[in-house]
Amino acid sequence: MIARSEIGGVPVLHGPTTGPARAGLVFRVGMADEPMTRRGITHLVEHLALSPLGLADFHYNGSTGTQFTSFHMTGTPDELAGFVDGVCAALHDLPLHRLDTERDILRAEAHSRSHSAHEPLALWRHGARDHGVLAYPEWGLAAITPDDLRYWVARYFTRDNAVLWVAGDQVPVGIRLPLPGGTRQPSPAQSSALPVTPACFAGPDGVVGWSAVVGAGPAAVVFADVLERTMFRTLRQEAGLSYAANTNYHPMGTGTALVTALADCLPDKQGAVLGGFVDELAALRVGRIDPADVQAVIRKRHEAMLLAEQQGDRLPEQARALLAGRDIPPIEAELAALAAVTPDDVTALAQQAYATGLLMTPPETTGTWAGFTAAPTASETVVTGTPYASLEEPGTHLIVAADGVSLAGDDRRATVRFDDCAIVRAWPHGARMLIGHDGVVVNIEPTLYRDGHHAVAWIDTHCPPALRVDEAARDPRAIPRPEPEPVAHSRVAPAVEPERRQIRATSVLMTIFLISGVIRGIIAVRDEFSEDGPIAGLLTAGVVIAVIGGSLLWRYRGRFLA
Amino acid sequence: MNPGDVVLDPAAAHPELTTLRDALARRDWWGCRAVLDGATPGARSGLLHWAAEEEIGDFAQAVWEADARDNTAAALLGLRLIHTGWEIRSAARAQYVSRDQFERFHDYLRRAEAVLIDATARQPRDPALWVARLLTARGLSVGQAETRRRYDRLAAADPHHLPGQLQYLQSLCPKWGGSWERLHSWARESMLAAPPGALQGRLVAEAHVEHMIGLEQTDPAAYLTDATVREELYEAAHRSVWHPDFRREPGWVGAASTFAMVFAVGRDHAASAPLFAMLGDLAAEHPWRYLEDDVVSTIKRYRRAALASGAVR
Repeated sequence: MIARSEIGGVPVLHGPTTGPARAGLVFRVGMADEPMTRRGITHLVEHLALSPLGLADFHYNGSTGTQFTSFHMTGTPDELAGFVDGVCAALHDLPLHRLDTERDILRAEAHSRSHSAHEPLALWRHGARDHGVLAYPEWGLAAITPDDLRYWVARYFTRDNAVLWVAGDQVPVGIRLPLPGGTRQPSPAQSSALPVTPACFAGPDGVVGWSAVVGAGPAAVVFADVLERTMFRTLRQEAGLSYAANTNYHPMGTGTALVTALADCLPDKQGAVLGGFVDELAALRVGRIDPADVQAVIRKRHEAMLLAEQQGDRLPEQARALLAGRDIPPIEAELAALAAVTPDDVTALAQQAYATGLLMTPPETTGTWAGFTAAPTASETVVTGTPYASLEEPGTHLIVAADGVSLAGDDRRATVRFDDCAIVRAWPHGARMLIGHDGVVVNIEPTLYRDGHHAVAWIDTHCPPALRVDEAARDPRAIPRPEPEPVAHSRVAPAVEPERRQIRATSVLMTIFLISGVIRGIIAVRDEFSEDGPIAGLLTAGVVIAVIGGSLLWRYRGRFLA
Repeated sequence: MNPGDVVLDPAAAHPELTTLRDALARRDWWGCRAVLDGATPGARSGLLHWAAEEEIGDFAQAVWEADARDNTAAALLGLRLIHTGWEIRSAARAQYVSRDQFERFHDYLRRAEAVLIDATARQPRDPALWVARLLTARGLSVGQAETRRRYDRLAAADPHHLPGQLQYLQSLCPKWGGSWERLHSWARESMLAAPPGALQGRLVAEAHVEHMIGLEQTDPAAYLTDATVREELYEAAHRSVWHPDFRREPGWVGAASTFAMVFAVGRDHAASAPLFAMLGDLAAEHPWRYLEDDVVSTIKRYRRAALASGAVR
């Protein structure tokens, strides 16, 4: 039984546990709230707030998710009280002398972090904004100032935007939760970069992925579980095509949820995993559902919920639900709603999910044969402005205008308009990377264009200063130099040109890929709300496949290719 | 025996096709279903294949729209869309097919695939649907792994489904991304997996025809006279058309016709003459069409030569 109370204006959820006492302070703020130019600020706040605790002798941690940030610990009632109050105090008196150190720690953390196949799905669905930014590195870290931190904390880390949960015999009496007032922050927007759904794109090697936006609720939970069960049965047990086949249910905001599915595959089986997945989804959509599967997943969920209730494990999700504005009904009502889900409900959900679906296919495969529309890989228009000829690729121009920039060539068209731009990354030697909200990237190395420095100067004076993030100087050896095509061969040797262009494109992409680590390719099924482990079958190939897969991904996707 | 004409119409050996054609002409779906539902799985797939090539207009579309849960209607519509698409593409090699032709071809195949995905989702054990999906797999270039998965689904529904095996055989050819080695080993394995006397020996003969044509030699007979090839063809013939258990079941004309061709082209009259005799004036267009466009004259010529040798046993 969950008891609700309030301390210092903060709602408190209290429930029993069979294990040691735990507590968590959760705020309605996460990566999806961050502008790209301050990407990483929530994570930085989390680290700074915990840094005064140092090497405390109790278990504590913080986590920054897409929509929520949480500080949690296990310990005695006194320790719990000391921890949450300590976090509250630190949040509003951040140890700014640790700013540079914590920045470095975050960079180190990013370097060692494994990347999730959920990231490209988020990027292609949402673009470089709200729920899509989790796919990007913490590119804002260098630009974050103490004022930025104070603004962020004052807006999001307030008593009106927090919920405390406590699992244990009682709420520790000493807790005060000294947080300033503010307002409850609405859930982040759910932008779409997809003109049409169901859509598809070519993702990294070794995995088939899919996501869909559905109405939140028990039917969607059961749908996700039934899909996982049928994927496991057909892709793994019957056909031996996949090792891991998982689905995930992830609430988004108040009324919707994201259902994702991932299945790993060997290089020579990728097409079959894709086909098998398409067929499993179709089976649920047309209503060929074994009622025994529905009953089995309901029973498993039922047992898991009861166990979680006893152990206090439902409290963190209930705290998030409360912050998102959702009801938290008593467990009896939730179990009854779960038990009432029928195969017809699952069919209806599958139809809804199919219509909003985004399919991530392995490189060199596509979902267009199965009725999925290829997501755009190029901009529809180019800006009208001054062209700067590429010194490497005849026919390719960087076009710079008052309202934006374009890269236009025979087989590419990438445009970022300043009023729809998420970030301009700027290096001292003149390189610029502009990313549009739709995820389109224009990457400019001034040395590779005739009068390229003029183009950069124009961009610097015309793009809004707030979008700019200055980067540290690059190793001079890493600054590209043009490899102009010998005039005599520029027309007579067309076979050579695409190959060289490909190498250049790949190397630029590899640079982005390695610097940013956007998709480092070690695809792990990792989600902020699930405990799924990495897909073991993929890890053996390690970084080699990762780099090849990643470069292929970026080569074929076009959004980053520019 | 002195057979005169060459009859390519499959209805000559399969009178149920005439009944089906009549029902199609009347736009009588229940009449069609009566024929199709009464056929063996392999015969049903063959009948649906032929039906899709008839002048049926939008009958298949209308029947399917009336009841999208009717998997037989879905199979006919899928095959009809595939047939229409392939007519647009033509049988020419890819370099002679225009971009516009390819786009329209792919569009028809995607429409077929959409119908077939739903139908196989509803009725995964209907082999005719998987035969059609082996055709879309090839036309839409879904790759060897996915094509194999579809074949496995077909085999799960009907282990020795010759119409589907003939389609999968195409996908195993190098022209569709396969290899001769895999083609021949699969053909032989499939033959041995089927009961003695079954039609599956034809798969071995078809594989050798594909190989012969694929080599593009000036004298195709050279390939077929190779001792190993001939040995494999004899083994396959003994396992099927020459086996005591070989029956004149649906598909027998195609099997006998293919063996007659490989032996005739390989100048093995002693082997081909009895097959021509067994066929009488019956013949199947495929794979004779690989040799020349005028299939009838070609068959007549080879048949005359074989029978003139007086080798009928």
